Amino acid sequence: MTATILIAEDHMPSLELMRYLLKANGYRTLVAEDGATAIAMARLERPDLIVCDLQMPGLNGYEVLNALRADPTLKGVRMIAVTAFSMLGDRERVLTAGFDGYFSKPIEAETFVEQMEPFLPVELRAPRGQSS
Amino acid sequence: MTDRLDRDWIVDTPDAHVLLSSDGTVLGWEGAAQQLFGYTAEEALGTKYAELVAPPDRQGELERFLSDTRERGQAGLETLRRRKDGNLIFVVLSGRRIDGGDRIVLSEKDVTELKVRRDGRALEQRFGEFLESTPDGLVISNSTGHVLVANSQAERLFGYGPGELRARLVDDLLPERFRRSHLGHRNRYFEQPRTRAMGNGLELYGLRKDGTEFPVEISLSPLRSEDSVVVISAIRDVSERRNFEQALQGKNLELENANRAKDRFLASMSHELRTPLNAVIGFTGTLLMKLPGDINDEQTHQLQLIRSSARHLLALINDLLNLAKIEAGKMDLQHEVVDCSALVDEVAATLRPQAVTKGLSFELALPPEPETFVTDRRALSQILINLMNNAIKFTERGYVRVGLSVEDFGGQRRLSVVVEDSGPGIRQDELATLFEPFVQGQASRNKGGEGTGLGLHLSRKLAAMLDGTLTCTSEPGVGSSFTLVLPEM
Repeated sequence: MTATILIAEDHMPSLELMRYLLKANGYRTLVAEDGATAIAMARLERPDLIVCDLQMPGLNGYEVLNALRADPTLKGVRMIAVTAFSMLGDRERVLTAGFDGYFSKPIEAETFVEQMEPFLPVELRAPRGQSS
Repeated sequence: MTDRLDRDWIVDTPDAHVLLSSDGTVLGWEGAAQQLFGYTAEEALGTKYAELVAPPDRQGELERFLSDTRERGQAGLETLRRRKDGNLIFVVLSGRRIDGGDRIVLSEKDVTELKVRRDGRALEQRFGEFLESTPDGLVISNSTGHVLVANSQAERLFGYGPGELRARLVDDLLPERFRRSHLGHRNRYFEQPRTRAMGNGLELYGLRKDGTEFPVEISLSPLRSEDSVVVISAIRDVSERRNFEQALQGKNLELENANRAKDRFLASMSHELRTPLNAVIGFTGTLLMKLPGDINDEQTHQLQLIRSSARHLLALINDLLNLAKIEAGKMDLQHEVVDCSALVDEVAATLRPQAVTKGLSFELALPPEPETFVTDRRALSQILINLMNNAIKFTERGYVRVGLSVEDFGGQRRLSVVVEDSGPGIRQDELATLFEPFVQGQASRNKGGEGTGLGLHLSRKLAAMLDGTLTCTSEPGVGSSFTLVLPEM
């Protein structure tokens, strides 16, 4: 079985891009357009990985991170920040805050999924060549 | 009738009359005793007199005076007393033995004002000329908190007429809210007098005769005479300096806020510009990957143009923001020990594929041993990337060579990196403006304006930030050579 990945992103074109790339590679996706929805959906659906924008209306990415890290049933879930904050020090800030990974926008269509997969257990990764 | 009159007369005397037992216990508290010392008869009766009214350093003196009185029948003394409220006063006392030596009756007269005036006159005679010779306000005061003498600068400072300050309470010169604590400070000062600034680190204020306040700076020095210590206070009005400091502080705060606002603006601008590019570059990618379906060659070509233009835009955004950060002085330099050979190697490794694709010889002339050098790794690597990238980009055949050396110039280590190419070269007239922003040479224009026009400008800025230089020599048709020289941080 391949992983279920929750995408939290308020910029619609970016959300669609990531969802398209993940689906094209055979992953099941869930989407949330703001932080609060992301938290609710994570609790309900227990995704295998969360890909999270930082600047979102309401709760931002860091707040989503903290809320989910404080939830004992979701403590193990990996979270990757995908953000257009890519100035000096942003990567360190993100990783220090407790995100498992940091991707800066713009993402590259060719490599995005490949770079994200190491954050998934091997058995949940999509078999290569399944892209359709 | 006579008796009655006599008693009233005693009650109204300006002196304190105290009756003591043989061990110095207060048995009677009459006359102006309460007025003088501040204690009611109820409070005083039954206490040890010496402990009640003698300052700590005068208790022995009072004990000696009492035994003198017992031995000789009577004695006199001028000394200090401490009132219930903590203030000191000068008194003249006389004692007489009564009842065959069992008891002593004391009478004490407050001579503070007399003594203050007398001491003030003496000081003025001795120091008057000296007091007038300094630009600061000088006030000499004693342990009872009285002004003995003040110079005319002090009188002007506090708004008093000539001689008006003499014999006044020092407390008159400070705002009400400081007076309570001032008494304690004064008493402690006279216990251990030494030269020092008053209220170190505190904001002190003086009070003018008209009730207005002004900020002051005061330094204190003790002046010892044979029988007493007085203190000289040098007082300076610091209104002007305080105003200046406040204005400066305000300006600093303003600048800080402006800088913070600029930082925030840069960060959000970077974020806002990158966000739409994410979709442009990303979806161009999905189309080129043919994820949604097949596309023909012309569509592929056009999509590639879209993508390279978007990447160009991204590079521009990065360079501009980096530049803005440098200009704003917001690049924090890190002092790091960098293995420069390894760094050149690393940068070269990422660019080598491009050189190989173009069939260029990409040669590194690095020292055999690791070459460590203290500098900012990020800035150095950014410059190296720009220089090597340019060399590869503009050279169609031949070579790109990178040389590195560290040398000692009179105790100062210097790093030189030379990037040479056999590219088209740069015309003499273009060399002059090569490092200016958005200036691109002919070669660059021939390449369809691929670069941002900021790479060399940025590199030179970074070099300057590291106190280094970036220069270029070139011969059209032969090649170019860029030399970076950095002093060790």
